Amino acid sequence: MTWLKLVEGYMPGQMIGELALSILLFALLNWSLKRAGMGIPKFWAGIGVWVFIWLYITYRIYPPIPFSVRAIYGTVTMCGIFMWVSGSEADWQEFKKPIFNVMDGITPRHRFLRTVALILIPLGIGGFAYQSYLPSFDEPIELRTVHPAPPATTKLHGKTFVLQIAENPFRVGSEGKYDQEYTNERSVVQAMGRLVKDVNDPNYNPWDPNAEGYMKYVREGGEVFFQNCHFCHGDNLNGRGLWAYAFNPIPANFTDAGTIAQLQETFVFWRVAKGGPGLPGEAFPWASVMPPWEQHLTTDEIWKVVMFEYWHTGYYPRTWD
Amino acid sequence: MNIPTRTNKSLRTGLGLAVGLSLLLWGGLPLTGLAQEDEDIPEGFKAEDRPAPPSAEQIEAGKRVYFTKCVWCHGVKGSGDGPAADRLWPRPRNFNQGTFKIRHTVSGELPLLEEDLLQTVTHGLPGSAMPSWEGILTEEQRRDVLSFVTTQLVEDRDWQDEEFETFTVLQLDQLTPIEPTAESIKRGSELVVSLKCIECHGLEGRGDGNAFNLKDDWGFSIQPADWHKCWNFRGTRQDAYNVKNIFRTFSTGINGTPMPSFADNTTIEQRWDIANYVGSLCERTMDIDIAGGEVTDEIAQTLAQGEPFPIDPLTDKPKSSFVVPSIPVRELGESLELPVDEYDERWAQVPRRWIGMGGQITHKPRNFVNRIDDLWVRSVYNDTHIAFLFQWNDRTKSVQEDEVDWDPTEVNLADYGVEETLPGGSQFADDPGHPGSIAWNQNKYAVYNDGVAFEFPIKWQELPAPRKPRYFWGDESFPMEITKWTADGTLAVYEGTGWDQDFTELDDFAEEVEVKKAQWKNGRWTVLVHRPLKGDYEEVASLEPGQYIPMVFFAWDGHNGDVGRKMAVSAFYYLVLKPAMPVEAFIYPILMGVGIVFVEGWIVIRRANRRKGKIFT
Repeated sequence: MTWLKLVEGYMPGQMIGELALSILLFALLNWSLKRAGMGIPKFWAGIGVWVFIWLYITYRIYPPIPFSVRAIYGTVTMCGIFMWVSGSEADWQEFKKPIFNVMDGITPRHRFLRTVALILIPLGIGGFAYQSYLPSFDEPIELRTVHPAPPATTKLHGKTFVLQIAENPFRVGSEGKYDQEYTNERSVVQAMGRLVKDVNDPNYNPWDPNAEGYMKYVREGGEVFFQNCHFCHGDNLNGRGLWAYAFNPIPANFTDAGTIAQLQETFVFWRVAKGGPGLPGEAFPWASVMPPWEQHLTTDEIWKVVMFEYWHTGYYPRTWD
Repeated sequence: MNIPTRTNKSLRTGLGLAVGLSLLLWGGLPLTGLAQEDEDIPEGFKAEDRPAPPSAEQIEAGKRVYFTKCVWCHGVKGSGDGPAADRLWPRPRNFNQGTFKIRHTVSGELPLLEEDLLQTVTHGLPGSAMPSWEGILTEEQRRDVLSFVTTQLVEDRDWQDEEFETFTVLQLDQLTPIEPTAESIKRGSELVVSLKCIECHGLEGRGDGNAFNLKDDWGFSIQPADWHKCWNFRGTRQDAYNVKNIFRTFSTGINGTPMPSFADNTTIEQRWDIANYVGSLCERTMDIDIAGGEVTDEIAQTLAQGEPFPIDPLTDKPKSSFVVPSIPVRELGESLELPVDEYDERWAQVPRRWIGMGGQITHKPRNFVNRIDDLWVRSVYNDTHIAFLFQWNDRTKSVQEDEVDWDPTEVNLADYGVEETLPGGSQFADDPGHPGSIAWNQNKYAVYNDGVAFEFPIKWQELPAPRKPRYFWGDESFPMEITKWTADGTLAVYEGTGWDQDFTELDDFAEEVEVKKAQWKNGRWTVLVHRPLKGDYEEVASLEPGQYIPMVFFAWDGHNGDVGRKMAVSAFYYLVLKPAMPVEAFIYPILMGVGIVFVEGWIVIRRANRRKGKIFT
């Protein structure tokens, strides 16, 4: 059922768009049916809309949303539907009518429905209560801080780095200054599927044999990445590596606007150097399989791999402001 | 829909008005009739036109894609020697020779661009590091990069070479699959024996026959496919249980490997039977014993009825959850004894949990080439003991022969004498005769023990949620109890206080833990462990029903040089011993139901009275 699969990153926009379109189509249909004199009763229309939205958020979105979150969406939807059906006194009366008709048992059919409802409701609620007592094998929800506050300083291979003022020594401009504009100018094209700007120019292609300085360091960082990091973070740096399926928490997705794009370069440097064990408690250091790369890489290699991650995703680090 | 073949083209042009009719008839004819007209073309294949050459702009655009996304594994010249190559298994493709595995074309021919290579780039190659590029590269970019690879990086062959290159294509879409009935599966099981498939793939198809002597065209060691993990088949196109893909691989062979094409010596029906059998072996919700490949009618029936596992579209692996349920034996039958082997019928009622495993690369020695990517766990318990049934596929049984000069409790041994393969050795990578090359080094490991282990935090009851000990053998505040079985027959229980801290042996408790069954058979280990639920609270974990108890799994493949910290690891799981039903589960629902009935009665009477004019306020 690949048609169910929503592309990650597109999700919020696509979901809101599709829902808005469905509501619009429904409103149009409802209006034209009314004009044709075959309007859908408010009661059934309300139930129909709610069921549609519930099925949408349950089955259309992948990975699935937990029940607790769907319950919130369902409640909000219900409030919206009540606002719609109680827009005017006449609407509200129309909505209530089928319910009261059944409760009062005005015709034999309504009396039959009333009997059925009177039996089913206590059975249903009793059954639901019984279900909730059955042993559950659901995973407990444990909320984890993905980007905890970094320490003021971090010590690496005998040298202390003050994260506020530390700079990536390889991100320097032609004048030897730490230069955001310079490196940004030489970044990849910003679009979905970010690509080398000009493959035949050593200033833009890290694999050009004549590449020097920034571009050469990007390639060296990439070599480190593809010898060590891609197993989890993936060939496209999107957290879908070869072994991502085995681990929990899942590896970070660097192409997401919520990870390295909103972090300072020194934060990423600290996270790479200290890995899982270096995390504070709220970020679950016990469960992270992220290696403390200080055990495997030199300081320079860590700076280079951080720079490569920004180059490959087309983001640039947040600066102190 | 029908492209005329050379043989009956002249015939059809001469028939004038009847062309339409003959087309209709011909479309309905089985392809077997066609194949007999041209003896060179195997049954089910048809000669097709060569793909159109790409434009220079496309090649240039593809080069930009290649040098951003592909070069890191496939290398600057496309020789499969990028920086990642030496730590990958399977290795990235060397494009230079034009040898491609997954094709619709007959054995030895180049692949099609649209139907084969574009699909590979779009869906990736599951079971390898090649990801699906759908959603990352646009379709145009995917075509561009293929233009670059097929014209600039494939050196030895040319899609436009009219003298040497032909395209004889399997007409997969026009063939109707045979239903995977018990009869078809049984015929398939007999064919894999007579066609000698089992010589490499093993009696039960776990890829354990001749597992460590096969080489590809470049001299690299490769292993036969494990039919029980269809989600790892390279050619699945992200549709793991679809037997069409097996049919295609079987019809066209895998170029560059010892896997031949069977198009010439099997009929189409036979190939569907084999595809159905191989596809039916892929793990399903129930574990099915296929008795060493001697598939009886009864086994075939069970295989035909198996429910496929749901596959996670984001990872192309079975969907799982991080909870391992343990079922009380009293729910499974009369006996209160725990099962003593895997054949106990009660196991059929116990859900089995798929545990995904990754290579341990957090601390040295690191396991970049991880050969155990999953294991299956089932668990039951009674009043005193809990049983864990571990099953995992391993192509080789490995038992350490040489003595090692360290004690099993010694943990912090730097690299255990296991040399990490330094990346960058690709220079002579594919020259098996060159000492120091990757091909020369492959499978030259010392053989250590296969093994499996699991751990619990010793005082898990005292963990302030969500705190846990570190997954890697605990930490000082919360030590782990680690139970480890190794293939030399040793079972030991250790206390671990960290990845770099030596173990303390828990000998008294280890004597109470029993290995009831440990057997390697047809490419699979089965290890059944009985453990007391409780022990000394200070020393070992006491397991209690209804609680979420953190648990981690480890596995070692001795023929991969796995030893000590070089191993496969899982994430944290929760073991949950299914509790007995509380009395409240029966009392409260009944009370609630009765209460609702009263409320209903009140509402109905009230409405009836209101209508009659008797309003109480």
